[in-house]
Amino acid sequence: MSKILEASRAGALAAPARRPFRLAAFMERESVFSWLMLTPPLLFLLAFLGYPFIYGVYLSFFHKEVARAASFVGFDNFVRLYNDPIFWQAVRNTIIFTGVATVLKASGGLGMALVMNQSFKMKSFARAMLLLPFIVPTVLSTVAWQWILDPGMGLFNRLLMVSGLAERGPSWLGTPTMAMISIIMVNTWRGLPFFGISILAGLQTIPVDLHESATIDGAGTWGRFRYVTLPSLLPVILIVTTFSIVITFFDFQLVYVLTGGGPANSTHLMATYAYSLSMGAGQMGLGSAVALSMVPVLGLLLVALTFFVRKD
Amino acid sequence: MAQPQSKATRRDFLKLAAAGAAGAAAGPWVSRNAQAKPVSIAFARESSYVKNFDVHFQNVMAPAYEKATGIKIEYQIQAAGGSAVPQLVSMVENKNGADLAWTQQEWLYRDALVDVSDIAEEVGKQQGGWYDEIKRLSIDKGKWKTVPQANIGQVMNYRRDWFDEVGVKQFPETWDAFLEAGIKLKAKGHPFGMSMGHGFADNYSWLYPLLWSYGVTVMDKDGRKVALDSSETAKAVEYVKKLYKEACIEDCIGWLDPANNKAFLTGQISCTNNAYSIMVSAKRDLPEMGKVIDHGLNPKGPTGQRYHALVPVTHGVFAYSKDPQAAKDFLRWTMDPKQFRPWIASGDMYFAPYLHGFDKAPEWDIEPRVKPFQKVLETGKLTSWPAPANRQHGEVVNRWIVIDMFTKAITGTPTKTAIAEAVSQIKTIYG
Repeated sequence: MSKILEASRAGALAAPARRPFRLAAFMERESVFSWLMLTPPLLFLLAFLGYPFIYGVYLSFFHKEVARAASFVGFDNFVRLYNDPIFWQAVRNTIIFTGVATVLKASGGLGMALVMNQSFKMKSFARAMLLLPFIVPTVLSTVAWQWILDPGMGLFNRLLMVSGLAERGPSWLGTPTMAMISIIMVNTWRGLPFFGISILAGLQTIPVDLHESATIDGAGTWGRFRYVTLPSLLPVILIVTTFSIVITFFDFQLVYVLTGGGPANSTHLMATYAYSLSMGAGQMGLGSAVALSMVPVLGLLLVALTFFVRKD
Repeated sequence: MAQPQSKATRRDFLKLAAAGAAGAAAGPWVSRNAQAKPVSIAFARESSYVKNFDVHFQNVMAPAYEKATGIKIEYQIQAAGGSAVPQLVSMVENKNGADLAWTQQEWLYRDALVDVSDIAEEVGKQQGGWYDEIKRLSIDKGKWKTVPQANIGQVMNYRRDWFDEVGVKQFPETWDAFLEAGIKLKAKGHPFGMSMGHGFADNYSWLYPLLWSYGVTVMDKDGRKVALDSSETAKAVEYVKKLYKEACIEDCIGWLDPANNKAFLTGQISCTNNAYSIMVSAKRDLPEMGKVIDHGLNPKGPTGQRYHALVPVTHGVFAYSKDPQAAKDFLRWTMDPKQFRPWIASGDMYFAPYLHGFDKAPEWDIEPRVKPFQKVLETGKLTSWPAPANRQHGEVVNRWIVIDMFTKAITGTPTKTAIAEAVSQIKTIYG
């Protein structure tokens, strides 16, 4: 009896007979298939984002001038930046630029989405047209803005003068305050459709039943917006705002083309300052340190945003 | 990149031998063994405002060199206006790109350039000698790292008709007279437009000469001590504040390089500091305006001296090139008077050679309004002057520290503070 039991145990413990290896079946396994799908984009990201980022981190700890060997300096570049007033001005400018532009884009985008969610003639055409600022290459649209903001020949000042609202329009890029307002305005114009279309997609996923229930419960238009629409949209708004903060924080082309960071560094952002240090002044290490400094500042902004939204 | 020939077949050898014979017949430029020479050389240059200058190179010079040597010249035209520097920096850092180039801001990457003293000294001897100031740029530690090609002159571009209207028949000789004229012209609706933004030439081409004419330099001669901290600097800053407020268009403190061309050509300003690209555009597109544009030299300052800022065009050969000698041979060939003089003439003297052999060139007399640009060579200084044109100086220029000293004062920072901030930043850069 015991022999029979042992034999049956041995049989049970013995490895099951191996099925022949089939590549198709192996690849169909979820754990294998998901990695197969993930590998190409991961390699792409590593090559085009990971490598430059790691190289940037490496450079920021070195004194590296163009065409010369790098020498390790530890935190020297960061200490130099800490004592550099232009760097702090660029940090301030970047935070103001990102903060104001994001708030304008988020509120404007929400408004745009609410309007676009209504039924009206040529709705599809209007939606397509609203995407234009986002589609046109930034450098191209910024050059057009240069003309629009021209003090004498520009569209804005012409309109102001022709309509009799002003005898002479403002100097849009000629004073520090106006230059900052102008770059925020152009950034908002460009980024608004991203918010608008994303929030519109979110709006269309809100079940009609919720609105109907709220109406039966006595909620008016504002009540439905405050207690149904907005809470339902919050996850979408959070994601879009996060993306927008990242994109706006690293904005370079717009400022480079429109003001070059002037006048008197009043529109210098961290991205343009990093560029002018690295590619203009040839200080690759110092420029990389500026670029790397953007990461914690941006991280703080994103954490603050997440905290704020969750609290809400 | 120079592409070396490999695995030559018998037919290739015959072709090379024929090309080599043609090269030998063409002159001493091709000093190399025909079999080892590359099939092409890449030459990067900033796009010229005078289109004919690029056209002459592409249609006449490049084919002539190819015919004589069998080497194809790939002419890589880069964007104009300071955008070329990042491209050059990228080439140097990646050790990949053109074999030789217009070496804008060469102090950034001199170490990556080969010695071209043999060419520069030969050209100097042959063509009347080099202007002294350019030697301070091209010679590094006793060796020529670049061969100067020419200067892009920057002077005052003005509307003669509007100056006449307010009774200013001659372009002002002093900065004070310049201000007076500006006040009159602004009152008539024709303000000056003096660039002070984060551009690459039109800002420092008048602000640095203005400082110098007040007896101020940024650094001392050795480049060791900051010389900007002086009472004369304060006077110069006060002058610019007044000039901006009473004579200039408000926008000009934020202008990048194309802005003053645009403002001038659209009739918004009566005077600016620029190369003669404005006249080139006006003659081509706005003939009526083209007739009334004129050029004046930078005014004299309280010291009685007049200065201009040089905007040098120099050519250098990259050490990373697969065949630097082939690139040098080509560079030598371009500087030979047989090629160089027609090339310069094709640009209508927009590019003024730093060679005394051109002092009496008949091309200077074709358009009298171009003549002031010749004077720039006599009174022109590098922006580093009198200090060496090195990396630190480049950092000061590319971070617009001196330019922003003026604009900060204009936008409300007390003059003393603006100067102190600039001095502190320059001290940090020079260490």
